Amino acid sequence: MNNRWMAQRLAIAALVAAVAARAEDARRIVEEAQKRAQSASQRYEGTLQVIGAENRIATKRWVFERLGSFGQSKALLRFTAPPEVKGVALLIVNHPDRASDQWMWRPAIGREQRIALQDRSTRFFGTDFSFEDLEERDVNQFDYKLLPDEGGQWKIESRPRKPSQYTYSYLWIDKSNYTITRAEMYNKAGLARVIDYRDFEQVRGIWTARTTEVLDVKRKSRTILKFDKLEYDVPLKEDLFTVEALRRES
Amino acid sequence: MMELRAVIQLRGVSKQFDGKRRVTALEGVDLSIGRGEMVSIVGPSGSGKSTLLNLIGGLDRPSAGEIEIDGAALSQLDDDGLTRVRRDKIGFIFQFFHLLPTLTCLENVSLPLHLRGWPRKKTEQRARELLDLVKLGGRLDHLPDELSGGERQRVAIARALSVFPPVLLADEPTGNLDSATGGEILRLIRDLHERLGSTILIVTHDAAVAGSCARTIHIRDGRIVEDVRR
Amino acid sequence: MILLRLISWPYARKHLSRILLTTAGIMLGVGVFVAMHTANQSVLAAFRSTIDRIAGRTQLQISAGEPGFDEEVLERVQNVAEVRAAAPVIEAAVSTDRGNLLILGVDMLGDRNLRNYDLEGADESIDDPLVFLAQPDSLMVTKTFAAERNLTINSRIPLRTMEGERVFVVRGIMKPGGLASAFGGNIAIMDIYAAQKVFGRGRKFDRIDVALREGVTLAEGIAKLRAALGPGFQIEPPSSRGEEFEATSRIYELGSDITSVFALFIGMFIIYNTFATAVTQRRAEIGILRALGATRGQIGALFLGESAITGLAGTLAGLVFGALTARAMTGYIGGLLEEVYGVAQSAASIEVAPWIAGAAIVMGLATSLTAGLIPARAAAMVDPVKALQKGSYLSPGEGENRTRRKWAMACAALSILALMLNRYTPVFYAGYLLAVMAAVLLAPSLSLRVSKWLRPVWKRIRPVEGALAADSLIQSPRRSSGTVAALMLSLALVISLGGLARSSYRSISEWMRIALNPDLFVTTAESATARSFVFPASLAGGLRKIEGVAEVQPMRSVRVMVKNAPVMLVAADIESLARRARLPAVAGDAERMYRRAAAGEGVILSENYARLHGVRYGEMIEIAAPEGILRLPVVGVVRDFSDQQGSILLSREMFSRYWHDDAANVFRIYLKPGASGAAVRQRILAAYGAQRRLFVLTNSDLRSYVIRVTDQWFGLTYIQIAVAVLVAVLGIVNALTVSILDRRREIGVLRAAGGMRRQIRQTVWMEALGIGAIGLVLGLSLGAAQLYYTLEIARRDLIGIDIGYAYPFPVALALVPAILGAAFLAALAPGESAVRGSLVEALEYE
Repeated sequence: MNNRWMAQRLAIAALVAAVAARAEDARRIVEEAQKRAQSASQRYEGTLQVIGAENRIATKRWVFERLGSFGQSKALLRFTAPPEVKGVALLIVNHPDRASDQWMWRPAIGREQRIALQDRSTRFFGTDFSFEDLEERDVNQFDYKLLPDEGGQWKIESRPRKPSQYTYSYLWIDKSNYTITRAEMYNKAGLARVIDYRDFEQVRGIWTARTTEVLDVKRKSRTILKFDKLEYDVPLKEDLFTVEALRRES
Repeated sequence: MMELRAVIQLRGVSKQFDGKRRVTALEGVDLSIGRGEMVSIVGPSGSGKSTLLNLIGGLDRPSAGEIEIDGAALSQLDDDGLTRVRRDKIGFIFQFFHLLPTLTCLENVSLPLHLRGWPRKKTEQRARELLDLVKLGGRLDHLPDELSGGERQRVAIARALSVFPPVLLADEPTGNLDSATGGEILRLIRDLHERLGSTILIVTHDAAVAGSCARTIHIRDGRIVEDVRR
Repeated sequence: MILLRLISWPYARKHLSRILLTTAGIMLGVGVFVAMHTANQSVLAAFRSTIDRIAGRTQLQISAGEPGFDEEVLERVQNVAEVRAAAPVIEAAVSTDRGNLLILGVDMLGDRNLRNYDLEGADESIDDPLVFLAQPDSLMVTKTFAAERNLTINSRIPLRTMEGERVFVVRGIMKPGGLASAFGGNIAIMDIYAAQKVFGRGRKFDRIDVALREGVTLAEGIAKLRAALGPGFQIEPPSSRGEEFEATSRIYELGSDITSVFALFIGMFIIYNTFATAVTQRRAEIGILRALGATRGQIGALFLGESAITGLAGTLAGLVFGALTARAMTGYIGGLLEEVYGVAQSAASIEVAPWIAGAAIVMGLATSLTAGLIPARAAAMVDPVKALQKGSYLSPGEGENRTRRKWAMACAALSILALMLNRYTPVFYAGYLLAVMAAVLLAPSLSLRVSKWLRPVWKRIRPVEGALAADSLIQSPRRSSGTVAALMLSLALVISLGGLARSSYRSISEWMRIALNPDLFVTTAESATARSFVFPASLAGGLRKIEGVAEVQPMRSVRVMVKNAPVMLVAADIESLARRARLPAVAGDAERMYRRAAAGEGVILSENYARLHGVRYGEMIEIAAPEGILRLPVVGVVRDFSDQQGSILLSREMFSRYWHDDAANVFRIYLKPGASGAAVRQRILAAYGAQRRLFVLTNSDLRSYVIRVTDQWFGLTYIQIAVAVLVAVLGIVNALTVSILDRRREIGVLRAAGGMRRQIRQTVWMEALGIGAIGLVLGLSLGAAQLYYTLEIARRDLIGIDIGYAYPFPVALALVPAILGAAFLAALAPGESAVRGSLVEALEYE
């Protein structure tokens, strides 16, 4: 599978459930998707367009780097444009058994700031992602249930075992290449976010969606993320992904 | 009869009271009173005799006509001018005495003199003389409450005499006294008239009082109906 | 009722102006009460709503007094399982070109869990949240604020910060409503980490706002948080933030209540006066009614009914007047909030609360009924036969006066007894009331005596007019004694307030002489009391190096809660203070006190704190601090005026140990002999003025600031004085109007006997001056006693400082022409009406 960072993020949702057999099938499918997307590291330059309710468009760019995979990965996201936000960074340290640690770095203030767990459901800097959506979680952090196929794709319900803003999600997975094509996330109030993956392309054997589109249902606002210069298995140093490095690098 | 120089002169004097109904109290009164005369005015209640006295005394102003007191035409005077005429030319004697209850006899008699701005010493001296004149020289420091009715009226007369004004006006001076005391007061007035030669005008119901005056004017319904000289 | 309509109404219509005057006292009394309480309540309500708006969905607030606490506390709070959301807050007031602005520093990420601020322009008007966070000069203002200053997104606005004047950029405009309506829109939001920097707060928060998980009760939440944080924190619902302001405003309320009571008392006398006179004047009418078969009860009820109606009319007018005045008062009260919050609170809506209106009506009615009681009884007692005889007046018997004197003596004796037992507050207040009662009961006798002294004097000046004026006073004490009593009370009030002011100024200047003796003060704001900004302790070293500086005393004042009451904690170098600004010990030995406090072995209390909170020398005092509970004995008490709520002086070492904070808000600077203050001031400004927010005040600057604050405190006193004098003048007008009616015949005789108008006027004027003079004599004397009680009340319940008795002779002297002048003015209209009336009618008998 391709964009596993996204894939994992999708997997975030949902609760225990379900009949054992179907659950086993579902779990196996997601496991396979995760396996196919696996890589030792990743780097890309993202272009982010937020399209607000009044069709106002704000564009930002960031560089994304990840080291390690799934439950053990660490990721660093650093804004490069526009100039007012250049240098603002988010460090994510994922854990297999619990929610990630996240720090924000703001060069103008000269300090890092821990993003509290309770704040993970808030929007990530005016995009339609929430901080939680940027986490990677392992397949083992969810319970799955296979639902009847839709549009020739598997539809899987996923419920998180750990605290989350979402109560459950639906995932659509392509039967031919195990790529996740769509995710719908639900919270207590109903459908909260819809994510569509498009423009798939194989990079070093991994099917990767070049375009990700998030819809915030309530706010009716969309964010489109496009990947450029995507690379897998690039050499990245472990000590880049620390709070100290955040300070040092800016 | 000798032509007397008039000290009180009324020409065509009328007085109406404005209210819900207009009441005519005096109508076209012409009257001339010579210096040194002692005149009584009689008439039934509401005939206008008190109104006449008030107009002559400058306590009130006529609706029409002209009043002259000792050569001063009252209509041409302002309030203070009128007061000055009252102060210098007229002495009042009231039926109810109108002594100020908080002042002693001496103070009551001194009152008009003080109001004229006389020096204290002179005022007191004159007041004593006046009280002697009305035979109350021994009651200088008594308050009105401590005097009999007759005595009170004598104090009032002394007060009216203050600067020996040319005109003395008396409104029922015996009306509030028993007949003996009333007679006494009348005698005093007559006596003063003779000794001081003041012009005296007395409004009265009392036939005895009227009878003791050389001239009696009868008023009815605001007009002079009779003017008798004896 | 039918009697009221047939008998009272025509009389009232005939004497309309007098009835109106009669109601004036009640109107003012009720008006002041309603105005003050309404203003207070409205500001308080607005303030509470401001607190609510700022608090949003916050259920609990965690704070540690003004010094704040370390950031790490936030994580401890967030780790408490019962906490749904916890957001840190920093509050700071900054001055703008137009008034102050409260800046709320919040964590933009989590804050929306607690607070609503809907933004202008759909959803994206923090134009870009990332830009807002990335740039520390970002500011989110309210639409009101923006509209007033023509600000739009990306407008620049200069604000004074710790780093000198800084330009901020508007990066968000809040829609009105919710948070944006707090403080009338004078509120702005900033990222909390940017705020820390801008306001020099280091890595500290002022407060953490907490929302609990569903199903967790406040009590549970407090218990869990308390367990997680230890004892050094206050954990309270947001509403308790209003308490500090309430403590301040309560003092003003008490002060105004005293004025109200006085105004009502005075109003009571005016009503009494009017009705007593009316009974006299209407005796014939009462006689006829009685002859026609009215019972005593009916007559009494008639008069009581009349006074009730008069009282009600006055009360209603007072309600209207109060509601109108309240608007003006709210500005004043709202300004007081600046002391607490740094931003003035304006009241959005001013409504008279039902309980205030109810209390006002009860007060007005009770006053008028009490006032009407004696006249009504007198009316009921009228003998129909005597009443119908002409010319006999009812005069107050000597017996009545004797009874009054007896009662007065009893009251006086009891009040002296109470004075001896004045340790017990209720006894003390009862004694105060008794003393006033004694004075009131004695007023007629005393005023008679003074009138008698006055008569020869008046007679000397004007043999007729003077004597008659004095006689008028002597003859009808009933007519003037009410007014005299009213005047006496209001003058006593003026003297006591003036005395309080004089004594206070005297004590304050003595305190300033000793305690405020540094040559220069380096502060973070023009007003020496602003505490939003602090200096790092290291600045002291720099200041010491400046040429001409002999000594620098860093000082930190922070408001903390001790035993649930706000108090000013002052951290200072005590050894240096003892050397340079040695206040004598009111309790304890000064030498030992300073030595032990300097060693961190105790705290020094201000006298007012000790008194108001009943803390004694030697007792232990406990102050919750982030490091734990600070327990120290009181090693001494000094007379200190630095804070109305009281202050606790502590060594800087102890403060930094318990609060982890060595910042200062003020540096007190002593110069070397011969150094020029102006030159050193210039040098300090040259060295630091450009890079940080810093003001250098000279000694006289600071003193005049203190005096200005004191003046503001006494500002209300002057209003009270004005009310008292106004009511007294109304009383005089009333008394004279009645007097003129009574003296119509006398005045007629005077005029007939040749009294010029000038002379008639003079007798009226002299009567007024007589009332004024008697009032002055009695009032200035009673004032001496009243001042004693006022100072005692101030000491016990208001400011807690024994400020020493100083009779305000200048005030007393100034009152003589003022009251005589007022009396003269009050006499002008009655004097004119005296010379107007028809002479003929005046001379006709009844």
